[in-house]
Amino acid sequence: MLRLEDVTVRFGGLTALKDVSFAMGAGEILGLVGPNGAGKTTLFNTISGLVRPKTGRILFAEREIGRLPLHARARLGLGRTFQIPQPMHHLTVRENLTVAQVFGAGKADTARVDEILEVMELGQHAERNAATELALQELKRLEIAKALATNPKLLLLDEVLAGLESNAKRRFVDKLRELHERYKLAIVIVEHDIETISTLCSRAVVLNFGQMIADGTPAEVFRNPAVVESYTGAADA
Amino acid sequence: MLELLQQSLFSGLLVGSVYALVALGIALTFGAMKIINLAHGELVLLAAYMAYVIESRTGWNPYAAIPLAFALTGIVSVVIYLLIERIREHRELNSLILTFAIGIILTNAILLVFASDVRSTGSPFLQDAVSFGPVYAMKGEITAFIISLAVMAGLWWWLKNSWYGRAVRAVSSNRDAAKLMGIDPRRVELAAFIVAGILASVAGVALYTMSVVQPALGPGLTIKAFIVAVLAGVGSIPGVFCAALLLGVTEAMTVTLASSALQELVGMVLFLLVLFFMPNGLFGARARRG
Repeated sequence: MLRLEDVTVRFGGLTALKDVSFAMGAGEILGLVGPNGAGKTTLFNTISGLVRPKTGRILFAEREIGRLPLHARARLGLGRTFQIPQPMHHLTVRENLTVAQVFGAGKADTARVDEILEVMELGQHAERNAATELALQELKRLEIAKALATNPKLLLLDEVLAGLESNAKRRFVDKLRELHERYKLAIVIVEHDIETISTLCSRAVVLNFGQMIADGTPAEVFRNPAVVESYTGAADA
Repeated sequence: MLELLQQSLFSGLLVGSVYALVALGIALTFGAMKIINLAHGELVLLAAYMAYVIESRTGWNPYAAIPLAFALTGIVSVVIYLLIERIREHRELNSLILTFAIGIILTNAILLVFASDVRSTGSPFLQDAVSFGPVYAMKGEITAFIISLAVMAGLWWWLKNSWYGRAVRAVSSNRDAAKLMGIDPRRVELAAFIVAGILASVAGVALYTMSVVQPALGPGLTIKAFIVAVLAGVGSIPGVFCAALLLGVTEAMTVTLASSALQELVGMVLFLLVLFFMPNGLFGARARRG
């Protein structure tokens, strides 16, 4: 589904990602973890097309996408959400989804839009303005709903649980599992909460200072001394 | 005095409708690309001269020039877009310089072809006066007002209901989020420029039928449109319409109550007041949650 080969990203003299390589299969849920500044969002930006890698290759569904613009990657089935929700605020909630569907999936399908609104519990907000009339949780659900409307095969979720209290977070994790099952999605999720990663993901990749320092099951990587050190500053902490 | 004020109010509303068309063209390209097309006034002027050409050469109603005017403004709009699209660094700033230069070139081209003489419609129908109770207007002004309203309604429909209209609103809202939804921003920007060209062509022909045109008019039109766009705030067609009427009425009242020498100044004063006290514009979106 997704394969990164020696991806390096530099901003001027700063190396944000260095030789990052991993692959994931269809239907997999992968957690991307690491301390602040580790390069997680840069990696998302690179996969989705906001940032061009200096070197390395990115393959999606066996196709090299490293030089494709954002909109072309979205049309191939690569969906992405932002840490801070980015609704298209001149549009209603329903229009956000229909525009995403027409331009991302190439067809207007009212039934599918209704289904996504229902699944994401946004049905009662469908005709509301996307930016000014939704609360944070609803905006986060809209962020995922927009990505779903493009009919993605892979969903990149950037700290989608940030700012939610524990009950809301648990419900959101259940929702992500439901989406994974219903739409047969592969998911990469950036998340700081170890418990969430452990319960939701079958695998975790850890970044630190732009380099991949661990790859395995959540239980394995969170026992890894290099990972513990990256979070605490000491291997025996 | 009351009749004079009523007449000023009425005349201001009529001319304001054309200001609205010019301002919507600027607002549309700004929304889609975040650039200010400083040559937009010259596009309007180009269309006005096409109306003059059609009327003087064929004797037809100047409104018959709209297809020809659009063909010309459309081509120039596409050329401007393609030049802006090639700018890689500091597009907002460099596009100002580029479109300012294109405006100068267009003004001088018009001057070269049509000389500096003032032109206006010779149509007896359009110059004929019509009364509405205590106020009067030329039929040309009334026609321009009605056509402006119709075009604005058409633009409203296009933005609200067509896929490209929705895409323009999406790109205006959030360019990166729109790209992630599969929208190719270059196509949307080009569509916005072409629609702005249509607005400029109708505004130019309307201007020719209700006023006088001369080659140096372009920058003044751009400034008025910019003032209207700032007064209105971002993202509101009714807001642009109301702000344009406000500018038209304020100018007309200034001429009646003070002096015609202050007509251009009053728009700038309004502009500064709104920037100082209501930076989101009179009708712009308030601070957003989330």
